Amino acid sequence: MLPVFKNIISRKKTEDISLHDPEFEAIGRDLKAAVDARMRRSLAIRELDSGSDNATEIEINLLSSPHYDVERFGISFVASPRHADLLLVTGAVTRNMEVAVRKTYEAMPAPKYVIAVGDDACDGGIYRGTYAVLGGVEAVLPVDLKIPGNPPGPIDILRGIHALMTG
Amino acid sequence: MFAEIEALKPGTVPGLVRPGEISVRITPGDIVPFCRSAAERGFELVDLTCVEGFDREGRASLFYCMEKRGMPEVLTLVCTLEDESAPSVDCIFSSASWYERKIRDLFGVDFPDAFDRRRLVLHECYPEGFHPLRKSVPNRPFSPRTAIPPEEEYRFMPVEGKGVYQVPVGPVHAGIIEPGHFRFSVIGETVANLEVRMFYKHRGIEKLAEGKRPEECVAVAEAVSGDESVANALGFSLAVEKIAGIAVPDRAEYLRTIYAELERIHSHLGDLAGMLVDVAYPVGASRFTVLREEVFRLDRDLTGSRFMRGAVRIGGVGFDPSRDQIRGLSCFLSDVQERFRDPLKVVLASPTVIDRFATTGFVEPRFIRPLHLTGPTARSSGADCDVRRDHPYGAYADIAPPVRVLDAGDVLARFSLKASEVMDSLSMIRTCLEHLPDGPVIAEAEGGGVPDGYAYGMVESARGQNVHLVRVRDGRIDRYSVRTASFCNWQVIQHAVMGNIVADFPVINKSLNLSYAGTDL
Repeated sequence: MLPVFKNIISRKKTEDISLHDPEFEAIGRDLKAAVDARMRRSLAIRELDSGSDNATEIEINLLSSPHYDVERFGISFVASPRHADLLLVTGAVTRNMEVAVRKTYEAMPAPKYVIAVGDDACDGGIYRGTYAVLGGVEAVLPVDLKIPGNPPGPIDILRGIHALMTG
Repeated sequence: MFAEIEALKPGTVPGLVRPGEISVRITPGDIVPFCRSAAERGFELVDLTCVEGFDREGRASLFYCMEKRGMPEVLTLVCTLEDESAPSVDCIFSSASWYERKIRDLFGVDFPDAFDRRRLVLHECYPEGFHPLRKSVPNRPFSPRTAIPPEEEYRFMPVEGKGVYQVPVGPVHAGIIEPGHFRFSVIGETVANLEVRMFYKHRGIEKLAEGKRPEECVAVAEAVSGDESVANALGFSLAVEKIAGIAVPDRAEYLRTIYAELERIHSHLGDLAGMLVDVAYPVGASRFTVLREEVFRLDRDLTGSRFMRGAVRIGGVGFDPSRDQIRGLSCFLSDVQERFRDPLKVVLASPTVIDRFATTGFVEPRFIRPLHLTGPTARSSGADCDVRRDHPYGAYADIAPPVRVLDAGDVLARFSLKASEVMDSLSMIRTCLEHLPDGPVIAEAEGGGVPDGYAYGMVESARGQNVHLVRVRDGRIDRYSVRTASFCNWQVIQHAVMGNIVADFPVINKSLNLSYAGTDL
């Protein structure tokens, strides 16, 4: 009980920490200008895991963490494909996910974009030609851009989104 | 151990015996009596898998891997089947149900008296009679079924009654997470039942490994579950090293331990942050997320990969850190402890957090043995188990982890336990650095490659016990079977959420930190 009470009455500390990397910031500022111009100031992203090994999800999640904090650049991750402009697809598309992948894409309003994130999403990666996958994302959906990597880091992913918005 | 085996059935003669592993050949008629006797004597089913062509071409052999707390060896019962069916042991070991359904899908071995005979891994799109891990089935695309007869659609367990309604969730979830389907049956806000349907991410990892040279397969092991890359690369390598009799140099053992503990730290930091996000306490979460990102950057500086891919190789490690890198790691360690402890104190003194964590998602101790729960999930419910201490590998024989056990079994216990494990891992890395031996970091390659044979590799990942069975034939991988901690731990979530409200599901799920990729394979 005592620590709880102390926590309530004590002065809250704030600290001035600088976490931002100049290269990332530069891409972000440029991306914000593109999002402002092209997407009327907001780009809504839905993430879809079609069969990844979960490392790419971690990197995409970290885009919203204090080091990166991409909401500053007009980007938001949304809970439903119905609210999304852009689909980030990770992993080769498995047989068991095929229907869900198609339905997710169909649920998005037009105009819509698809980015394949990670080697497996780009062309099937190590799973190419095996029984359990259909291949990369383009085996099922029209893909606008590919971001290779095993997995690509947060900065690579932001660079990819930037390329799509400025291309 | 031999007395224990003799007690299972008098006159039993062990087959393969090597340090840490004992196997016994049994006949199909022996499966049920042996398993019953083993269960009565306190053995747990660690893994159940199938190997084709183990001693006769085209025939399936079942491998029942068991352990008993306090016993350093694992016991494997190997049974070659006469035909394509075997008796079920799901009434003896509850965890056997998922294994048997998986073996039925992938190998076509039937368990006619099993209580649940639904498909597990291969969903409806796979044609009936398609069993991909059979040697006769080539690893290439097949024609899927387009029309699925209604009677073959997956049937969830019916839950009916006044006021019961269903909440179907997934496979695509609202957050940035992996796919799986949750079927809640609720009465008002309270969960009366949950059934999980997994394996949406089945990508054929085990078949993919077959025919590859062992060294090519480390990358396949890393793909089992991204945030367990080191643990799984290590589990696979341990098995191959046992088969080939490779002695890993001391310096490599210490470096492996450092990499494995760094992985545990970034995984646990992600869990701690995730649990706080799920109870709407992002201020606390941010502090842990910042540390986690710093660990990822440190991992990249040490190994070239944020997930330390390529760090573990058969016979040792892929990177020997320079003096500067070791200095960087030491600096990080001396600084991070305070930066971790401070926010932790604030979080654990926050009424909004405690209110949501305490008594939520209770994992009852009675599920631990039947489902073979391991890792922080089991240790937070009173189980004293840790592969690092029970079956030591790497440098853990020299630097044993303090195995912490809590009894409460709720989200708060899992949060607190993971927080103390982060501190323990930091101090273990510091000890490793202090005693880091000099010398090579990879065993000298001997000509002739890996001889035929099989072995188990067992590791404690951040999530618990991961078991890798590797069989090599003519220098190539003949069978690679992986059972991650998540495969077993997933099954307890169905019990842990009962009686909780739907809104607490995310935090319960996060506190159990289950890998979909590592389960679906």
